[in-house]
Amino acid sequence: MTAEAARTRSTGSSSLPRVLGPIRPRARWQELRLLLVVAAALVIGSVSLGATVTGSFAPYDPWGLGIYLAVLLGAHLAQVLAGRRTDQILLPAVAMLGGISLLLMERLPKDLVVQRFFGTSFGLAEVQLIWLVGALVVATTVGIVVRSDSWLRRYKYTWAAVGVGLLLLTFVLGSEINGQRLTLQIGPVSGQPSELLKVILVVFLAGYLSENRALLVEQDTRLGPLRLPPLPYLAPMVAMWAIALGIVVVQRDLGAALLFFGVFLALLYAATGRLSLVVIGLVLFLLGSAVMANLFEHIRTRIDIWIDPFSDPLGAGYQVIQALHAFARGGLLGMGLGGGLPEIGGQPPIPEIHTDFPLAALGEELGIVGVVAILGIYLVIIERGLRIGVAAADDYRSLLAIGLALVVGIQAFIIAAGNLKVLPLTGVTLPFISYGGSSLLANALVVGLLMALSDKGVEPPPPPSSRSRWARLARRGAG
Amino acid sequence: MDGFTLVLWGVRILFLALLYLFLARVVRALLRDLRAAAREPADRPGRLVVIESPGGEPAVGRSFGLDVITPLGRDVNNAIVIEDPFASAEHAVLTYRGRSWYLEDLDSTNGSYINGQPVDGVAALTYGDEVQVGQVRFRLERTRA
Amino acid sequence: MLAPTGRSRPLGPTTIHVALLLSVAFAVLAGAAGYWGVVRGPDLSRSPDDAAVIAAGRTVPRGRILDRDGTVLASNLTDENGEVYRVYPSPTLSQVVGYASRIYGRAGLERTFDAELTGLAGDPWTDAFAKFGADRFDPKDLSVSLAFDLQRAAVSALGKRRGAVVMLDPRTGEVLALASTPTYNASDLADPGTAAATFEALRDDEAEPLLPRATLGRYVPGSVFKIVTVIAGLGSGAITPDTTYREQPRSERNGLLVEGFRVRDGHHPETGSTALDLTGATEVSCNLWYALTGLETGGQALVDYAARMGFGAAIPFDLPTAASQVTNGRGTDPGGFVDDVELANASYGQAETFVTPLQMALVAATVANDGELMRPRLVTALTGKNGTRAVGPESMGRVLSDADARVINAAMVAAVEGPLGRRFTSGAKVPGVTTAGKSGTAELGGSGEPHSWFIGFAPAEDPQVAIAVLVEQAGRGGEVAAPIAGRLMSLWLNGAE
Repeated sequence: MTAEAARTRSTGSSSLPRVLGPIRPRARWQELRLLLVVAAALVIGSVSLGATVTGSFAPYDPWGLGIYLAVLLGAHLAQVLAGRRTDQILLPAVAMLGGISLLLMERLPKDLVVQRFFGTSFGLAEVQLIWLVGALVVATTVGIVVRSDSWLRRYKYTWAAVGVGLLLLTFVLGSEINGQRLTLQIGPVSGQPSELLKVILVVFLAGYLSENRALLVEQDTRLGPLRLPPLPYLAPMVAMWAIALGIVVVQRDLGAALLFFGVFLALLYAATGRLSLVVIGLVLFLLGSAVMANLFEHIRTRIDIWIDPFSDPLGAGYQVIQALHAFARGGLLGMGLGGGLPEIGGQPPIPEIHTDFPLAALGEELGIVGVVAILGIYLVIIERGLRIGVAAADDYRSLLAIGLALVVGIQAFIIAAGNLKVLPLTGVTLPFISYGGSSLLANALVVGLLMALSDKGVEPPPPPSSRSRWARLARRGAG
Repeated sequence: MDGFTLVLWGVRILFLALLYLFLARVVRALLRDLRAAAREPADRPGRLVVIESPGGEPAVGRSFGLDVITPLGRDVNNAIVIEDPFASAEHAVLTYRGRSWYLEDLDSTNGSYINGQPVDGVAALTYGDEVQVGQVRFRLERTRA
Repeated sequence: MLAPTGRSRPLGPTTIHVALLLSVAFAVLAGAAGYWGVVRGPDLSRSPDDAAVIAAGRTVPRGRILDRDGTVLASNLTDENGEVYRVYPSPTLSQVVGYASRIYGRAGLERTFDAELTGLAGDPWTDAFAKFGADRFDPKDLSVSLAFDLQRAAVSALGKRRGAVVMLDPRTGEVLALASTPTYNASDLADPGTAAATFEALRDDEAEPLLPRATLGRYVPGSVFKIVTVIAGLGSGAITPDTTYREQPRSERNGLLVEGFRVRDGHHPETGSTALDLTGATEVSCNLWYALTGLETGGQALVDYAARMGFGAAIPFDLPTAASQVTNGRGTDPGGFVDDVELANASYGQAETFVTPLQMALVAATVANDGELMRPRLVTALTGKNGTRAVGPESMGRVLSDADARVINAAMVAAVEGPLGRRFTSGAKVPGVTTAGKSGTAELGGSGEPHSWFIGFAPAEDPQVAIAVLVEQAGRGGEVAAPIAGRLMSLWLNGAE
C-alpha cells in the first residue's frame, strides 16, 4: 500500500446507504435446513390439530399453512439472492414461533377477533396470518436493505424526541381499552405505539451509552459512600425512570414500564459494567413501585392478586387462576393441539387468551415439554442477538444489538412470568406468538435490524477522529 | 386405547419431538459458532514487533500483543511504553476496526510514521507495514495462531 | 470492541453476565411451568373449579352414592337440555351426602369425593394417563356405611327439635347414622330450576339447616364428658377403680370447696353416707368424685388423653369436622387451664369444654372397643369401570389398656342398668341386651335450658354399635336424649324399636 493510499483524512461519516447492492447470491444452507425442520414440525402440528378436530389425519388449514410456508421460502430466497452474510438462525427461530402462533390462532374460536378489510371480514387466524406475512416481509426487507447505521446513530436525540412525542400522543389521544390507554387510533388504523417505542428506546440508549460509556465508567461524583456517574449524565437516567413511572400512571401499562426499565438497566450494566449503577436503578424502581402501589388502587390489586390469586377467584384473580389450571390440565405432554381448553359457555376458559395468555393455552395443549421448548427458542433468539452484539465492530452496534435482543427477551420473560405467577400479570404481548399486528411488526423490525447488524461483510464504522473523546481521554491518562 | 387414539397421540408426540429436533440443531449451531469465535483471537488480532530501538527500551525483537485499541507513548499508562526522548507522553493510538488497522497520531511533537511516511491524523496500515514512534520502529504482524 | 485501558472493561464479560442472568431467569420460568404442570397439576386439575371438571359435570353422569345395603342415596336426572343434575331420595341425608349444584358448588360427601364422583381417578398417575384413553372420565359409585333406615329413624326421633345423632360400629369405625336436625331438601338445591330460591331461604333460616350439627356443631358436654375424665384418670394411673377421696362423703351435703368455688351434686339424698368409687360415681354421675379425680389426674394428662381420642384438632373423617376442646388453653397451669377451678369444672364437662357429637361418639367407641379407637369413616368402597376398591378400617391408636376399658365399660353398664343409674337414663336400655351409657345435662350458665346428652354402646359384652345423642336445650339428659338412644340402638340390634 502506498503512502498516498495510506493517508486517510478522517471523514466523519460513511457514504450514503446503498439500498440495493449488486445481486451476488450466496447459499444459506443452514437456514434452509432449519426452515425445513420448521416446515415439517408445522405440517405435523397441523395434522395433529386436524385429526383432533375433524377426526381425519389431514392438515387443519392447508391454505393458511401453505401461504405461511410459501412466504418463508420467499424470505429465504430473497436473502439468498441479496447475498449478505447475515445470521441464519434468527429467521427459522422466528418462523417456528410464528408457525406455532398460527396453529394456536387456528385452534381458538375464530370469532374472537373479527376485522373487516376492504369489505371482507376475517377471523382470528386469518388476521394473524396477514400480520405474520407482513412481519416476515418487514424482517426480511430490513435484513436485506439496511446496510448502514448512520441514520440511527447520528440522530439519536431526534429519535428520542420522536419517541417521547409518540408517548405523549398516546397519553393524550389514546383510547382506553380495559382500563389501559395503549391504543392509538388514526382513522381506520389502530396500533400500539408502545411496541415501536421500545425499538426507539434501544436506538437512543445505544447511541447515548456508547458515546458516554467511558465517562460513565470512569468519572464519579461522590455522594457519601456512593460513587455515581457525573451529574449531567445522571439526568437522562433519572428521566428514564420518570418516563417509566409516567407510563405506569397514565397508561396503566405496568408491563411496558417493567420492560423499559429492565432493558435500560441491563444495557447500562452491559455498557459500563458498574453494578452500583444497576443497584441504584433497582432501588429507585422499587421505591417508585412502592409509592405507586400505595397511591394507585389498580397497581395494588395487581400485586395482591399476584401473591394470592385465590383470594378473589371470581374477580381479579380469575384470569391467573384459569391460566394455572390450564398448565395443570396440560401436565407433562399436554392434551394435544385442539384437545384441551374446555369451553365455558362457548368461550375458551381463559379470558384474553389470544393476547395475554397464549403461553397458558400452549401449556395446556403442548404440555410442559412444549412450553420449555418454546422458552428455549426465545433464549436462542436472545443468544443470537447478544452474540451479534459481542461480535459487532464497534460499541454502538454492540449496544444496539444487545439492546434489541434484550427488548425481545425481557418482554417474553415478563409475560411468560405473568402467565406462570412468577411476576404480576401485565399486558405485554408474547413476541411472535401473541395476537396483534403492532407487536408482530415491531418485533419483526427488531429481528430485521439484528440480521442487518450481523452481516459479517459489513463496511467498517468510521475510524476515530482526532477529535474523538477517546483520544482526549487517552491524553488525559487513565483514572 | 383404540387405534385412532394411538396414532393421534403418536402424531402429537411427533410434533413435540420435531420442536426439540429444531431446538437441538439450533443449539448445536450456536455452540459451533461460539467455539469458532473463541478460537479466533478476537482481542489479540495482531502484534507489534520491535525492529529498532536505540534506547533499548523496549528491547529489539520484543513482540507486543495488540488489543483492539492500543495506546503508545512515553507515559507509563500506555499499553506500549516507549522510553525514548523523541516520543511524547501520549504519542499515538493503534486501533483495529472492521478488519483494518489504523494508526492515529495524537498531535505528538515529532510525529508518527508508517513506512517512513508521516501520519497526518489517522492512517490505515496493514500487516507488514512499519510504524515509527520517536526513534523506535515496529512492524505490524499477524498473531502467530 | 473497546479494550481495557485503565478501569474501563470490554463489552464481552458484561454481556456474558447479562446472558447468564437471562438464562437463569428463563430456567426459573421452566421450573415454574414444571411446578404448575407436574407438582400442582393433580390437585388443580381435580378441583371442582377446574374448567374441565365443570364441563364434565354437565355431561358425564356423576357416580351414585349407595348405603350399606345398596339403597341409592344420590343419583342423576337429565334436564331438558340434556345436561345432568343430581337428585336425592330423602332430606334426612342432606347433611351427610350433601349436594352437587351447578351454581352453589358441592357440600358433604359430594364435595369430599367430588373428584371420584365426577370421574377423575383421585390418583395422580391414573389421572395423568387418563387423557390417553378414549374415555377420559370414569365416575365412581361410592358405597357408604350408612344405613338408610337407621338414618331416617334418627332424624324422625329428633323430631322438631334441633340436635344430632351419631351411630357407629366401634369395631370398624363405620358410621351407621349421622343425623342433624333441622335438615333440608338437597334435591331442591341440586335442581337447577329451584336452586336459587331454595338457597336464599336456607341461608336466611335462623335455625341454620345447612349446618351439620353432628360434625360441626360445638356444645357444652356436661356429664357425658366424665367418661373422658375417667379414661384420663385410669390411663395415667392417677386413680384406680377403688379410689375414693377423703372429702367423701362429707362434702356431699354442702358441696366441695375448690379454691373458693363450690362443686355441687344432686344425688346425695340417695347415696347417703357411702363414699362412692369409680363405678358408683359413674352410676349416679357424682360431680364431686369427678372433680377430685380431675384434680388428681392433672390438667396435662386430661388434655393428653383427650387428644388421643381426637380432641384439639379436626377429627380425620370423610366430612369436615370441628375440633373439640377441653380448655381454650390460655391459662398457665398444666394443660392450659387457668386454675384448679376450671380444671374441676372441666372434669364434669362444664367451664371451657366444647365438643362435637361425633367426638363424643368416638369417646363411647373407645370404651366399647376395649380401649382402641378406630377411625370413623363413611366410604367403604369405590366402584368404577375397572372394579371396586375397598377402603378398610384404620386404627387411630390405643387410648388405654383393655383392662381399664372394661372397668369403665362395667361402670357405664351400671349407669344404664344399675338401680340408681337407670333413673338417670330411663329409656336407654335396649330390651334383652346389656346396654352401657352415660347421660349428660349440660348447663349453659343461665341462658336457657341445658343441652340433653347421651352416649353409650350395646351389647356391653361385645359392642356392635356406639351412639351419641345431643338434643339442644331440651332439659335433662336422661329424659330426652337417653330414650332416643335406646330406641335407635334397639332398632339396629333387634330390627325393631
